Amino acid sequence: MSGTFFPGQKVLVEKGKIASVGSMIRKNVEKVIECEQKYLIPGLIDAHSHLGLFESTVPADDINEPYAEITPHLRPLDGVKMRDRAMEDARRAGISTCMVCPGSERPISGICSILKTNGNSADVGLIVEQAGVLMSFGEQVKVTAKKSDKPYVTRMGVSALIRETLMKAQDYYSAKQSKKMVKDREIDMEALIPLIKAEVPMRACAHRAEDIMAAIRIAEEFKLKLVIEYGTEAHLLAALLAEKKIPVVLGPTLVPRFRYELNEKTFESAKILIDAGVDVAFTCDYPGLPIETLRVAAAMAIQYGLEEKRALAAITEVPASILGVDARLGKIKKGMDGDLALFSGHPLDIRSRLEALVVDGDLFVFSKDLKIESGS
Amino acid sequence: MKTILEKGIVFYQGKFQELDKLVIEKGKITEVVLASSKAKKGKPLPAPKKKAETSANVINCSDRYILPGFIDAHTHLSLEEEGVGWYDADYNESFGLATPQVRAFDALKMRDRAFNDALHGGVTTAMITPGSANPIGGQCCIVKMVGNVAEAAVVKESSGMKFAFGENPKRVYGEQKKFPSTRMGTAAVIREWLMKAQDYLKRKKTKEFKEREIKLEAMLPLIEGKIQARAHAHMADDIITAYRIAQEFNLDMVFDHCTEGHLIAKELGKWKARAVVGPTFSSRSKPELRNKTFETVEILMDEGCVVALTTDHPVIPIEGLSVAAAMCVRHGLDEERAIKAITENPAIILGLDKRLGKLEVGYDADVVIWDGHPLDVRSKTEAVFVDGNKVI
Repeated sequence: MSGTFFPGQKVLVEKGKIASVGSMIRKNVEKVIECEQKYLIPGLIDAHSHLGLFESTVPADDINEPYAEITPHLRPLDGVKMRDRAMEDARRAGISTCMVCPGSERPISGICSILKTNGNSADVGLIVEQAGVLMSFGEQVKVTAKKSDKPYVTRMGVSALIRETLMKAQDYYSAKQSKKMVKDREIDMEALIPLIKAEVPMRACAHRAEDIMAAIRIAEEFKLKLVIEYGTEAHLLAALLAEKKIPVVLGPTLVPRFRYELNEKTFESAKILIDAGVDVAFTCDYPGLPIETLRVAAAMAIQYGLEEKRALAAITEVPASILGVDARLGKIKKGMDGDLALFSGHPLDIRSRLEALVVDGDLFVFSKDLKIESGS
Repeated sequence: MKTILEKGIVFYQGKFQELDKLVIEKGKITEVVLASSKAKKGKPLPAPKKKAETSANVINCSDRYILPGFIDAHTHLSLEEEGVGWYDADYNESFGLATPQVRAFDALKMRDRAFNDALHGGVTTAMITPGSANPIGGQCCIVKMVGNVAEAAVVKESSGMKFAFGENPKRVYGEQKKFPSTRMGTAAVIREWLMKAQDYLKRKKTKEFKEREIKLEAMLPLIEGKIQARAHAHMADDIITAYRIAQEFNLDMVFDHCTEGHLIAKELGKWKARAVVGPTFSSRSKPELRNKTFETVEILMDEGCVVALTTDHPVIPIEGLSVAAAMCVRHGLDEERAIKAITENPAIILGLDKRLGKLEVGYDADVVIWDGHPLDVRSKTEAVFVDGNKVI
C-alpha cells in the first residue's frame, strides 16, 4: 500500500531489483542492514533538474545555448558531468533518479533524459534518453531574447516560433512517412518526431497562468502530451488542469519572487492542486536550488496544509508516473528497481539524516553507525 | 493589557523546558514561570482566577512550542520588493565604488510581502544591508518586521558599515573596465577611505575645519567604534584580509557569509570572531562558494566563535531561516545551538542581546508559538507577537 509506513518489514534486493518485501523473508544473503527505528522509503526522484549540466563553481555551464532558439536536438547526455559534486550531493539527499534537461531560457531547448545517480558516466545511469522535449514560455525566454537581440521579444513571438517549428515537424514527419521519403535528414526535426507522435510529452516551462494556457493551447492544436514545469500559478488553474489530466512538476518554491511571473508563488499551491486532483511532483530545479532541498520542498508543503503521505508521494511515486517510469520506480514493491533511501528519522523531518542509499542495488553508506552484517 | 501564555514548551535559558506561564505586558516580557520551578517549590495549584485578572488575554499553549522571534543578522529585505523585478532593486550604487553615505534605511519598502513571509517563518527582527558590489557599500539598519513606515519598525537606523571582499567587487568593476578588478584593488580602496576618515576625524577637531564631506561624515561613527564593520567575505583568504584591515584601523568587525570559515576555524576562534554564516542553501554559483558546507556553523562554534545563520534574503527567502537551522542539525549540530544561531547569537552579534533573542524578563515581547518543534520544517507558526502585539 502506498504512502504508509509499515514497521518490521524486510526488503530483499537482488540483482538491482527488489526481489521481495515482507516480514518473513528467509534467504542467504550477502549483506543484512539493521534498520530498527529507521525509515525506509523509495529512492527520491526529482522530475526536473539540470544536474551535471551546471558544474558547481566552474564559471562556464552547459545549460543554455544563448545564440540559437530552436534546438530540440540537444541531448543532455552529451553535457552531463557525472563526477560533479552535485551528483554526490544528490545521493546524500536520497535522490536516486532525476530528469535532466537543458535550460529554460530558449523557446525549444532540447530533449529531457532520465538518469540514475549511481555510476561514473551518464550512460551507465541512463534509463530513458528521450523522455520529452523542453519548451519554455514567459518572462525568462523574453529576457534572454532581449539580451541577445533576437527578433522575438513578446509572448506572442515565442508562441509563434514554437508553432512554426511544430508545423514544420508535422510536415517533416508526414513527408517522411509518404512514399517520397525524406532524403536529407534534418537533425532538429528528427528529434521532434517522438513528440509529434505523442510518444513523449512536451515539457512546458511556464510560471504564469497565461503561459500555462499558451502551452495547453499549443499542445492541443498539435495533439501533444503535456507536462507543466514550474507551474508557479498553476493553482489558479487547478480545476482545468485536473480536468485535462495535465500533471505539474512544481517548483522551485523556496526561492524569492525575483521576477514578476513569480508574484503569486505560494507554498499552498501543492495542496490546492493535489486537492483538485492534479498530479504534482516537487522539483528543486537544480541549480535553482541545491539538490538536497527536495525533501525541504515537501516539508514546506506540509507546513502549508498538505497531507504527509501526499507530500511523500510527490517526491517518489508521482514523479515516477509523470516521467512514465512508474512500472519500475517510485515504490517499494517486488519487481521494482532496487532504489531505496534509509533515513534516521521521519524522511520529511529535515533534521533526519540519510544513512544509506541504494541505487540499482548499489549500496552507498553515509552513516558510520549503520550496522551492516554479512551472511545469513 | 496583559497577555499570558500558559503551558507548552518554552525555549528558555538555552534549552526546551515545560512552561507554566509567560506574561507579556506593555511590549515586554514581565514574568516567566517554569513548570519545574513551580513543582519544586511545592506550591499549590493556582486558585481559580479572580475577576480582576480576567482583563488578561490568556492563551493556552499546551503541546505548543514557544520561542523568541528569530533574528536574521544579514538580509536585503525589501531593498528589492518581492515580485517586482529589477526596476525596484536598490542593492548597490554600482558606479560609486565607495558609498559609505548611502543608507539601507532610506530604501526600505514597508509593504513588501517579504515582511509578512518573515513573520510566518517566525522571524521578527532582521538586519538589512546594502549589497556587496562596492568595496564600501553603505550603512546597515536593524528593523522589526512590522509597521507601515520604516520609523515604526526601526531598532537601529545605522548599525554598521558594509564592506565587500572577494569576487563581487572585482567582478562588478572589472566588467566596467574600472579599478578595482583584483582583490588587492578592493583592499586598497577600503584602506584609502579608512585613512581619509581617520585624517578627517583629526582635521575636524582643529579650527581650520570648515566644509563637511558626506562620505567621511558617514565613516566617522565607524572609526570611532560606534557602529560595526560588516565584512562580506566568503573565501578564507578574504576573511583574513578583512581581519587584517580591521586590526590596522581598530574596527569592530563582524564576518558575513564566512563560507570557508571552517578552514580557518582555529584563527577565527582565537579572535573570538563573530560570524553570520550563510546562505548555505544556495548553489555553489561562484568559485568562492566551492567549499560551502552546512558543517561550518558547528566547527566555528566548537572553536568559540559566536555564530548566527542567515538566509541573505532574497538569495534564500526569509522564511528559510529555520530551514537553514534544521539543515545544520541534519549535518550534526545539536538542536539547542542551532536555535541559538537564529535567536541569541544574532542578538549578540547585532549588539542587542539585552533586549532580543531570549524569552526572559525585561526582554522585548517578540514571541512565536509553533504547532510543533520549530526545527521540524513541517511545523507551522500559530501566533506571532512583536513588541507584545499579536501580528499573526
